Amino acid sequence: MRCEGVRPQLPDYVLGTLSETETAAIRRHLRGCASCREDATQLDKGVALFAGAAHVAEPPPELKERVLAVLEEEWAEPTTPPSRRRPFRFAWQAMAAALIVIAGVGAWAGVAQNKANHFREDALAYRRFLGALGGKDVRAGTLTAAPGVTLDGSVTMYDSDKGQSWVLVLARAPGWSDPVTVTLQDRSGREITVPFPIKFDANGEGWTGMVTGANLSSFDHVVLTGANGRMLAEGSVAPPE
Amino acid sequence: MRDFLRKDARAAEDMYHRFAPRVFGLGLVMLGNPSQAEDLVQDTFVKVWRTARSYDPSRGSLDTWVLLIARSLAIDLIRRRVLETRTMASQEDPEAAVEPSPEERVEAQDLVGRAKAAMGSLTPGQRAALELAYFQGKTSAEVAELEGIPIGTAKTRIRTALAKIREVLEVEHEV
Repeated sequence: MRCEGVRPQLPDYVLGTLSETETAAIRRHLRGCASCREDATQLDKGVALFAGAAHVAEPPPELKERVLAVLEEEWAEPTTPPSRRRPFRFAWQAMAAALIVIAGVGAWAGVAQNKANHFREDALAYRRFLGALGGKDVRAGTLTAAPGVTLDGSVTMYDSDKGQSWVLVLARAPGWSDPVTVTLQDRSGREITVPFPIKFDANGEGWTGMVTGANLSSFDHVVLTGANGRMLAEGSVAPPE
Repeated sequence: MRDFLRKDARAAEDMYHRFAPRVFGLGLVMLGNPSQAEDLVQDTFVKVWRTARSYDPSRGSLDTWVLLIARSLAIDLIRRRVLETRTMASQEDPEAAVEPSPEERVEAQDLVGRAKAAMGSLTPGQRAALELAYFQGKTSAEVAELEGIPIGTAKTRIRTALAKIREVLEVEHEV
């Protein structure tokens, strides 16, 4: 994106009203353009100053203890992802996911389909399968819905060192009909948007996935957003061991 | 923020003192109800904790990041409140809606007044555009449609509004 295209978008960017895709594009530009970055910083300052002047009100004293107590409960939640505690818990689900993706893209059919019937019970065969694909491991996690949103699901990622990594996102959102965009994120702020949004069927179930030559090993977070850019759910997968 | 991520209780207190008044105030303006404004503060801090690792300083200040989280949650609350109101309308549940007290209404109105004062340097069109974008999370395209203006005009009004506010409030700050 050029500066002429970015500058008009900066107020929306700062106010958080752009879609995830547009935001990611702006962010990429800002990384390399000091002038636009300064422009964004000044607008951001305007927002912060306005907030400080316009709507500061002292909450009741008891609210502090309530909030800190809730945070302590959050901190006490176990943080070890399921895939670490029980490495084979998602094994058969991951294989089912792998077969969906493989069948969809028509790749590796000989290897996957011949072994499909054994994978659910045979962890050793699962490892052989990974060896054949040249990958390290399958990572999986569950989706957490944003407040006020009814959505659950899972995300599965496979890191291949032969340029055939893939990701699969399964979601269930009863009554939801709009397409939902899935974006992968890593800790440095890089993002990859899955090309095809999730489209839900009449039962409120949908999925999306992609096979990519990109290295997914640093990506450990997914965000699901609606058509207006609002976050609907997010999920994490354990980084590769 | 780093200490907050490490579950440092002191850091959590500092974060609370820094952001709770703004989030509570935002809740009073947007939700008009102190009880829901308190819930907004709690929900915001939980969300900040759960998404803290996704905060990237290069995207913008921590202040704005937290505020946008709070605004998004407030908008979701408003939408849910509308749905619940419609659902409960025929059930005539006397406990369904808790109306704010007169004192609480005055406090909310005072905040609205301060917001308007901060926007005193703006034209009516700039003020309307900023209110729609800031308090309601409307995109420039949505602002343009609601105001009946070209999208380029909407973008310019929002940008000019933010720049003017920054100029005015930065001067007040220094004085």
